[in-house]
Amino acid sequence: MKVFADLLWFFRMEAKRYLWGVATLVLVSLLLLVPPYLIGVMVDGIVDGTLTAGALTRNLLLLAGCGLIMYVLRYVWRVLLYGAAARLSQVLRGRLYATLTRQSPVFYQRHRTGDLMARATNDIQAVELTAGEGVLTLVDSLVMGLTVVAAMASAISWKLTLVALLPMPFIAWSTSYYGNLLHVRFRDAQAAFSGLNDKVQETMTGMRVIKAFGQQEAEKEEFRKLSARTADANMAVARVDALFDPTISLIVGLSFFLAIAYGAKLVVDEELTIGGLTQFTIYLGSLIWPMLAIGFLFNIVERGRASYGRINELLQTRPDVQDRPGAAHEAPRGAVEVDLRSFTYPGQPQPALQNVRFRLEPGQTLGVVGRLGSGKSTLLRLFLREFEGADGLLAIGGRPLDGYTLDALRGAIGYVPQEHVLFSATVAENIAFGRAEASRAEIEAAARAAEVHEDIVRFPDGYDTVVGERGVTLSGGQKQRLSIARALLQQPAFLLLDDALSAVDARTEQAILDALRAGRTGCTTLISAHRLSAVEHADVILVLEDGRLVERGTHRELLELGGRYAEMYERQQLESLVLKGGASS
Amino acid sequence: MTIRRLIRYLRPHRLVLGAAFALLLLGTAADLAGPYLVSRFIDDYLTPRTFPKEAILGFAGIYLTLHLASVAFQYGQLLLFQRIALRVIHRMRTEVFGKVQHLGLSFFDRTPAGTLVSRITNDTEAVKDLYVSVLSTFVQNGVFLLGIFVAMFVLDWRLASLCLVLLPVLYLLMRTFRTYSSRVYRVTREKLGELNGLLSESLQGMNIIQALRQEGRMIRRVERLNEEIRGAFLRSVRLNGLLLRPAVDLLRILTLMGVVSFFAGASASGAVKVGVLYAFLQYLDRFFEPVNTMMQRLAQLQQALVAGERVFQLLDTDEWAPGEKPGALPAAEAAAGGEVRTASGAGLDRPGAETVRAEAAFPGVLPPASAAGLIEFDRVTFSYDGRVDVLRDISFTVRPGETVALVGHTGSGKSSIIQLLLHFYNVRSGEIRIDGVPLSRIGNDELRARIGLVQQDPFLFAGTVRSNIALHDGAVTEEAVREAVSLVQLEPFIRRLPRGLDEPVVERGAAFSSGERQLLSFARTIARRPGVLLLDEATANIDTETEEAIQAALTRMRAGRTTIAIAHRLSTIQDANQILVLHRGEIVERGTHQELLRQGGLYRAMYLLQQGGVAAKV
Repeated sequence: MKVFADLLWFFRMEAKRYLWGVATLVLVSLLLLVPPYLIGVMVDGIVDGTLTAGALTRNLLLLAGCGLIMYVLRYVWRVLLYGAAARLSQVLRGRLYATLTRQSPVFYQRHRTGDLMARATNDIQAVELTAGEGVLTLVDSLVMGLTVVAAMASAISWKLTLVALLPMPFIAWSTSYYGNLLHVRFRDAQAAFSGLNDKVQETMTGMRVIKAFGQQEAEKEEFRKLSARTADANMAVARVDALFDPTISLIVGLSFFLAIAYGAKLVVDEELTIGGLTQFTIYLGSLIWPMLAIGFLFNIVERGRASYGRINELLQTRPDVQDRPGAAHEAPRGAVEVDLRSFTYPGQPQPALQNVRFRLEPGQTLGVVGRLGSGKSTLLRLFLREFEGADGLLAIGGRPLDGYTLDALRGAIGYVPQEHVLFSATVAENIAFGRAEASRAEIEAAARAAEVHEDIVRFPDGYDTVVGERGVTLSGGQKQRLSIARALLQQPAFLLLDDALSAVDARTEQAILDALRAGRTGCTTLISAHRLSAVEHADVILVLEDGRLVERGTHRELLELGGRYAEMYERQQLESLVLKGGASS
Repeated sequence: MTIRRLIRYLRPHRLVLGAAFALLLLGTAADLAGPYLVSRFIDDYLTPRTFPKEAILGFAGIYLTLHLASVAFQYGQLLLFQRIALRVIHRMRTEVFGKVQHLGLSFFDRTPAGTLVSRITNDTEAVKDLYVSVLSTFVQNGVFLLGIFVAMFVLDWRLASLCLVLLPVLYLLMRTFRTYSSRVYRVTREKLGELNGLLSESLQGMNIIQALRQEGRMIRRVERLNEEIRGAFLRSVRLNGLLLRPAVDLLRILTLMGVVSFFAGASASGAVKVGVLYAFLQYLDRFFEPVNTMMQRLAQLQQALVAGERVFQLLDTDEWAPGEKPGALPAAEAAAGGEVRTASGAGLDRPGAETVRAEAAFPGVLPPASAAGLIEFDRVTFSYDGRVDVLRDISFTVRPGETVALVGHTGSGKSSIIQLLLHFYNVRSGEIRIDGVPLSRIGNDELRARIGLVQQDPFLFAGTVRSNIALHDGAVTEEAVREAVSLVQLEPFIRRLPRGLDEPVVERGAAFSSGERQLLSFARTIARRPGVLLLDEATANIDTETEEAIQAALTRMRAGRTTIAIAHRLSTIQDANQILVLHRGEIVERGTHQELLRQGGLYRAMYLLQQGGVAAKV
């Protein structure tokens, strides 16, 4: 029942719906006593032959009225209570999504998509059941149970009532015992379901690889195992789940037995008539439903508790990266200054970056080169503040990055990631993803600058072609250029190209770089690349090795330095020479 | 239709199902015997105040035994229904998952992953209720209702016949409910599916949403959808409120009114048997409880049916991957589709059964020994959507052991050639042959076992570094893994990982850089020792030094193997036996590196541009 306390905030929020809903429910329970009474009166009249036509009509009309009122009231409480429950799942879904939008990449490395999806769907459903069906069952069984017990004790015999109810505490004890057992098993079952979801999610997104490697049968086998595990976990739930009803039947049966045995004694002692005893057993019979409902209630509530725990765990996750108090809302402008002592990814033993220093005036271009894993993209991503914990200074316009709100900071940055992410929407909507209000002309201009306009007009529906999960297949280069167009449309003061030209060919790369130089005067650009041609014209070039800055300068300076950069350049030149030799022979 | 198909899934569980129903009936009987025993005790012993010890103890003993038995039967019955349901769902899931594995990529290009996930996991979960509770409820209460009608006819056939009017009324109520609710439930499910799709896409692209500060807009989109879902749910609550329990209860009161009037009329014209009146009222009261329970389950049934329909829709999708339509089945059986699968479904529970079927399904599989690796494209034209051709009239031949390089601007159709060779899609016209055998006659498993693909977009699975190289099919030995690792020079990277080869890989390898992911996918390909190599812009994400090492490894790998390579950097393919220059889906130049340079066409322009930088812009 703890989950009701956990959900108190919601019951308060929806107090009106719940109060009216519960009141209507109680009213219906009480009205339920009227029809048997009216029928009893009429039947007695028929038996005695005293029923007049007027009385019959009056009673029948009363009965019909009562039936209609109950019909309306029952409809009303359903809409109120279930409506409130639907509201809860709406609120939880909304909050969950909002929380998810605040989480950093670290969070998404910890939680798999399928698992998060399962919490957003299955678990929310279980909580919804608690807030609707759970509340209804609680109120209904309490009202009905108490009414019946009151009738039994007052109208027949309080002594007999006491004896008959003797085994009842055992119901409370066993249901709460089963409840705890169920809680653990249900959590396990939900986790198994999450795992299953993860597997399907992964398979569906990685189908190309699975097929290319002929892994279909192996995947089926893996899935079969997971599905079997889910079935087993659910069977474990069922083993406890199926205990509720029989246990309650058992106890109710015992209660009947005691009632008859002790009742017989009372009859013999002439403290009770046989008619009274029969009536008592009828009342006892109508206690069965409330008792079973309590089992059902425990079941729902335990599921709700397990699921609410899983949801709350996510809701309570504080975002790793948050706005500092007093952070400026104004857009960052001015020179970029970096004096980074070290940066380590959360949970990693070694720092990803160490001792990186540079300064970039507004409108200048920074080039970052280095081999695989040297920290190029880490350096760029630090500007987005996706991770906390950088030791040292990263500043724009003399103010450290965390001196700006995330919103202001990210609003000034156009980011093109290594991995191209497109959404299920048209090409135009994808380009305008960061600026939904952009005009078609602006979108086309951005697409032209990113050298993707020609490709787009050749798509079946041009700019209105749907891409993403349910759209046309794009090549890696096309996706990259769409991402670039998306960043350019934002007209950012700072543009981060994180190895964003890797999947485009040399001609396109040059065309894009030319367009950037031509159209973005006054804007600061940071490019990481492994092809030196992409950074040759940069004002400052950083050469990174194992996360350390080993060289810094312009293309010319670095060549004169004769270090790592020159070496890389020579190697790329050498390749050209070899080719040239081949060409002239 | 859907319901018949769902029930057919129970066929393999006939015996258990029979046992469950037997327990259900026994339990109910034992349960009903209790009140009878009590009434006998009251009439025979309590009323005359005679209490013979043995008889009383016997009564108590029988009562308690029967009660315990009924409780035990109840537990057994509940458990058996659960077991059947879980097994059926397990089978349905493996079946639909297995089916999806063999659908064409064009299907996945169009269908969001989130939708498929919700079909395979959520919808099957909704179907479960049908087997857990709906079936047993309908059978149990149906029997109960029949019994009550029999009893009422015995009591008074005239009145009972009048009560028969209830049946069409109830039927009408149920039909009205079903008609409206199926519409409402479908909308709810669709909206939920849409939300799931949005959610799954957001989760995967969250860093972009954040970088572009679109959190607010996405939240508003979710909220709008959320509101729609609540609206749809409320409509179903209203529908349930109007037509289910409240309506049945109203009907009950109306019926009671009718019965009372009937007796009142009868009493005016003659004597009324009081016992009959009491009994009739009692039975009528009991008549509506099962009706209510069944109506209550009707909502669940409706949800299960809608969900089941969606699962079957996926199961019946005819968009097979090229060459993966189970054609070995006799034509008649194949045409019957799902019914056959269901009928022969018992075998699917056995691991390996599907493999056998899959193998049998591919006729004309080539023995690997004959594989030389001659690849021919013969006037191939191809389109993803059937409207715009991405490849036009492509013809070329790769002789065994040769390397053919594909170059061209992005979007020129290079990747499509590789996708076609892997038989991911069917060509629109023309033919692709390997060793003279058309692709359509080679089994996909066989084809893909011989072809090693390195993709543009390395995809890593959640698991470990090792499992990402070896994958799950057991075909790759530990030795092959280590060999592959050293071949692509992944050793330094693996040494840096705290747990080496057993380092966990999170979903999509998000913790690794794209270069590292690329190298891992290299190792995965190489570990399978393929006869034909397809390199799809394989070196795009690797820096010069790493690439040199890989080039060396690839050179070793390529010895004696047929290779088709796409590379943006022309330097990596200069030793190719043939270079094809593609432009907008057509081959515009072909020849060796030297020949193409001499031709002075597109290739030469691209080449000059690359080694000379901007100056050479043509």
